Amino acid sequence: MAGKIIADQIEHSTAGSLDTSYVVNGSAKAWANYSGSGTTLNDSLNTSSATDHGTGQYTTSWTNSFDNATYAGSMISQGSSTVNASYFFNMYFGGMATGSLRINSYSQAAVALQDSSNVSTIGHGDLA
Amino acid sequence: MTQTPSFKGTHLFDRLCWAKENLDGVQSDYRVVYEDSVDECAKILVPDPNWMACALQGGILPPVWVYHELAKDEAQPDFKKHTRGYLLHETEPMPAMTEEEAIEYLIQKDCPQSVWTNWDSGNKPKMVICKTEQLPKTRTWRNAWRISDELAA
Repeated sequence: MAGKIIADQIEHSTAGSLDTSYVVNGSAKAWANYSGSGTTLNDSLNTSSATDHGTGQYTTSWTNSFDNATYAGSMISQGSSTVNASYFFNMYFGGMATGSLRINSYSQAAVALQDSSNVSTIGHGDLA
Repeated sequence: MTQTPSFKGTHLFDRLCWAKENLDGVQSDYRVVYEDSVDECAKILVPDPNWMACALQGGILPPVWVYHELAKDEAQPDFKKHTRGYLLHETEPMPAMTEEEAIEYLIQKDCPQSVWTNWDSGNKPKMVICKTEQLPKTRTWRNAWRISDELAA
């Protein structure tokens, strides 16, 4: 590819240096942001689709699969209305594969799975 | 139209980064509704805009059979990590697809194989490709949504 720089280390003028392996290994390899009520994907990297499995249940599928199914997935969500905006949502895994991540959005206030207006999913790990 | 560089042998993630930087996302109006369990409601698959841009552009995505090969490996009981990830990067990329071809590809990639291999057998279809406006307008009773019996042949 054009503009390729090969370097094992980068150095700041005052703040010190850093191995580029930190950047490669530490960067998110996949992420997606979508509406949890109607599931419209707003933006993403390395994502092929989102699946709405029912109220508060979603799967994000990756284009470049992860190397193994023990990568680190993280997620955050936002309330689904002016009332629910102040709710706390517990997000927990519903299933993890190298090519996808299933998550559940559980409202503590409603004591049930509930749609979130905005869901963000991120994957850190080694790619296949 | 932006020309795709020759990407054969380039890591798929690098291709996706190039696409993210150079292609505008394409919001597809298609949705795939499917049922993979009699005990669960209908699922709705939504294509990713950046992925759709890659599919329409051509020269970026690997053939779908590559994902099936990786899925076979992952299904092995002693699976630890992928050893054939090179298939994603070294296989000749797919040429440009139409939006309809891209949806067919995506079904085979992201829907359960049990759904798309015999979607039209049984009393009613297990899968329907529709437009966004054909879905219910509200999420009321979302967990009871099913594919309509009226679609039965």
